[in-house]
Amino acid sequence: MTARNKALLYIALIALSLLYLFPVVWVVLSSFKDANELYAWPPRLFPKHFTLENYTTALEEGNFGRYFLNSAFVTITSTLLLILINTMAGFALAKYRFKGDTFILIAIISTLMIPLEVIMIPIFKVISWLGMYNSYWGIIIPPAATPTGVFLMRQFLLTVPDDLLEAGRIDGASEWRLYTRVILPIATPVVATLAIFSFMWRWDDFLWPLIVISTPEKYTIQLALSNFIGQYDVDWGSLLAMSVVSMIPVLIVFLIFQRQFVKGIVMTGIKG
Amino acid sequence: MRPKSYVPYVFLMPNLLIFSVFIVFPALFGIVYSFHKYDGLNPMEFVGFRNYASLLQSREFWEVMRRTFVYVVTAVPLIFAGALLIAMMLVQEIRGRGLFRAVYYWPVMISFIIVGLTWKWILGDSFGVVNYLLERIGLEPVKWLSDPTYAKLSVILATLWSRIGFYMVIFIAGLQSIPQDYYEAARIDGANRIRTFFNITLPLLKPTSLLVLILSVIEAFKQYPLMMALTGGGPGKATTNIVQYIYQTGFIKMQLGMASAMSVVLFVIIAVFTVFQFRLTRGGAIE
Amino acid sequence: MDNKKGRILGILLLAVMLVFGLAACGGGSGKGGNASDGSRQSEGDGGGSGNTGASDDSGSGNTGGKQVTLDFVWFTDGIEGEVMKAIIKDYEAENPNVKINLVEVAYSDLSTKLRTMIAGGRPPALARVTDTGYYKNQALPLDDYIGDQEAFTSQFMDSIKPYYVMDGKVIAVPMDVTANGLIYNKTLFDKAGVQVPQSPDEVWTWDEFKDALKQVMEKGGAKFGLVWDFTPHRYSTLLYQFGGSIFNADGTAAAINDDAGVKALEYFVQLHKDGIIPESVWLGGENPNNLFRTGTVAAHLAGNWMLSNYREITEFEWGVTYMPKAERRSSVPGGKYVMAFKGSGVEDEAAKFLLYLSSKEVNGRYCQESLFISPRKDNAQLDYAFGKEMFEIFSNELANTPAEAANDWSRQELITQFTTDMRNQIVEAVAGNMTPQKAMDQLAALINAIIANTN
Repeated sequence: MTARNKALLYIALIALSLLYLFPVVWVVLSSFKDANELYAWPPRLFPKHFTLENYTTALEEGNFGRYFLNSAFVTITSTLLLILINTMAGFALAKYRFKGDTFILIAIISTLMIPLEVIMIPIFKVISWLGMYNSYWGIIIPPAATPTGVFLMRQFLLTVPDDLLEAGRIDGASEWRLYTRVILPIATPVVATLAIFSFMWRWDDFLWPLIVISTPEKYTIQLALSNFIGQYDVDWGSLLAMSVVSMIPVLIVFLIFQRQFVKGIVMTGIKG
Repeated sequence: MRPKSYVPYVFLMPNLLIFSVFIVFPALFGIVYSFHKYDGLNPMEFVGFRNYASLLQSREFWEVMRRTFVYVVTAVPLIFAGALLIAMMLVQEIRGRGLFRAVYYWPVMISFIIVGLTWKWILGDSFGVVNYLLERIGLEPVKWLSDPTYAKLSVILATLWSRIGFYMVIFIAGLQSIPQDYYEAARIDGANRIRTFFNITLPLLKPTSLLVLILSVIEAFKQYPLMMALTGGGPGKATTNIVQYIYQTGFIKMQLGMASAMSVVLFVIIAVFTVFQFRLTRGGAIE
Repeated sequence: MDNKKGRILGILLLAVMLVFGLAACGGGSGKGGNASDGSRQSEGDGGGSGNTGASDDSGSGNTGGKQVTLDFVWFTDGIEGEVMKAIIKDYEAENPNVKINLVEVAYSDLSTKLRTMIAGGRPPALARVTDTGYYKNQALPLDDYIGDQEAFTSQFMDSIKPYYVMDGKVIAVPMDVTANGLIYNKTLFDKAGVQVPQSPDEVWTWDEFKDALKQVMEKGGAKFGLVWDFTPHRYSTLLYQFGGSIFNADGTAAAINDDAGVKALEYFVQLHKDGIIPESVWLGGENPNNLFRTGTVAAHLAGNWMLSNYREITEFEWGVTYMPKAERRSSVPGGKYVMAFKGSGVEDEAAKFLLYLSSKEVNGRYCQESLFISPRKDNAQLDYAFGKEMFEIFSNELANTPAEAANDWSRQELITQFTTDMRNQIVEAVAGNMTPQKAMDQLAALINAIIANTN
């Protein structure tokens, strides 16, 4: 890249970033405003009286430390499970030809098209019958299978040449071994993407905890957050403050895993 | 050496099991509901195809469908192009790349209720920042949220802001998996940027593109929490999309049977779309 | 050979799904009757406490020392959640065998949560609800517990009776009542030199009020005169003041498109056209509470529930005054109830707690500390720590409310089916897409269709 192009790229990125960040900055700064300033007119971006009140009251309101740990447990467990089973399924759909493979893929994707709200009652019944009601497993296992994850893995593996697997098979490796030793290592970008997405999905998940969890001690952070919303009144201050706090882990996970988006070194030279 | 034919099924098993038990099986109940009059609490009453019949005749339902369709065909290409463009900038070797990526991903993490609050603060008609600034420099305020056309525009804007980052991540992962040799070869051949993009990037990105396209179409069809938080579906019904309409029918009007019938119709429509996209691209296989 | 194995595996997979399916159907067949699996007393911690098998067939009657947990589904607006937690604590201390598990959800998720729990065969012991009518068949009738029905209901305001007595049975207990009313920005009114009515005798007419608001806008520097909550319930205040109603007296037909109904809407539209009400609330979804709190809006037509929120305002002074009248004065009553459910397995304990909640002492404490209006006649004069004079105005509004208001809004099985449409029709008129007459005619046609369909 020439220096001029690089400069242009930076200018474009920074300008776009500012546009993108403006609402985010407002959220963060507003969480430090007191209730009266939040509604002040004319609007002000920076808090006039910087206060941590929203944070302290929100933290006192419920057992947020506990909710945080609950969310962390659910999110991490579910993410590990999701990565394992979704990459397995994606692998099967991309690298084996079998009867009904396209059908199964489309069937899996089509589960995305169902508005879950409408079938909440039967879902609740199933959860109940399986003894998952009011249990973390009820919010870990059902959402661990995601069409997005399977589809992502499958599409990625389409770009990986079959020769890799054939070579392994000639060496007498089992299919499971191929999956763990050949496929998973080259799928690092997919695993990173899935980790980022799954962490966010589960951390921000609301629908599953809402119907599954019924004891305050087991509340996740999002469930606790929603209690700031009443019929007539929304506690915007606390809501903003807790939203900011709950963003931090997701952001950290993103920053860590985005480093794994590296150039596909393995493939170089194999297909060319 | 060919692998045993049961192998793929074993790999698929955990996923299929979860899908069948927690989604497909409950969804079958949804289909049953659609043939009943059901409020979610009291015993169901079988009505045959009556829900479907009144649905097919309902002007309002198809109007909402049409509106949703317009939203989908407006939002999806913009999301696609925006995400791809930003992703291409952010696979370059530049300083602070991770930070830039985080900036674009950030809005994805913010819950829709906060997104709604934020954008209302920016675009609010009488008390929004943009209109405040417009008035300060002596311009007429714009009815960002209370005029149907502007409201639709505002919804699209907020959608782009909150969703591009998600697809950007997928594109980044996809772009990184294109072997560098191709670009080297193109450079030696003296191809310019645009040629390289159309001859190498796009074709090799086909699996990812199909993925983004299908996912964003489904998501756009189903999008409603954003509208709920930003415009409440208004003014009037101008930004009420299909899933919000289904939700209103099922959970405010308490007609779960009818809402299920609507979901079935929606399912069929999206499914046709998806299969069509799939066929057209042969599953995203690279030629 | 391989192919055969694949087929066997496929069959196996199918079998597993079938087993799941059968198990599911088996559980589902007992709809309504599967109440017996409800007595899940021990919640413990850890995972998997879905002990569906631990049914307690001895059933009701043994209220003695049995350890029970009552799930109480709850939503919070202001400070009443904390008040309820304190009351529960006291109750648990008095009744060591009872543990009350307050399951807090957002108001917008309340019906989702309750509906899945009830339809899924695990009704909670108790829930705080606003739409009592929707759950009337699942609610635990309290008549066996309250003694004489007449004596019980006569303790509460007469106007709310249709909300909790249905099909001749008491299905819930009233916890608080709400009144729509007018909150104004005192700082702006003072600046404009406009005085609000000081007693019920001085109540403004709507035209007088409109002039007053115009003055506050001109001299007091208010950006807008009035913000009005974006709900059909709040809109209906104007409807009753103009002498109209949603239904006719016996609820057999819509009355919303009669002369009074159309005039009310015309007036409402005119208030928008005159720039007194900002279009951004009814058309653009801006939050009226937030707008009022900017200190640039002269008045907010809301209700007594806003007091605990507006209490935090320090930037300007505000107060409550009488709503203007047209043909007559009117507010609209509302309220919140607590309901016990059939099939929870702990019905007796739940009913006992309900009686505790509705007693003079406990209800008085709850309303007083939460800044609510008590539904109990003997709690009409509570010693509020804040805004005592405001509560008197709200009570006066309720006392001057015609019966139509409670009659209309207690027909919940009908009203829930058209509130969205009612809102949309008003919006169509405000946006100028339809004349008020046409908007209300269409709405009336829809309401009549719903009545015909429901009965």
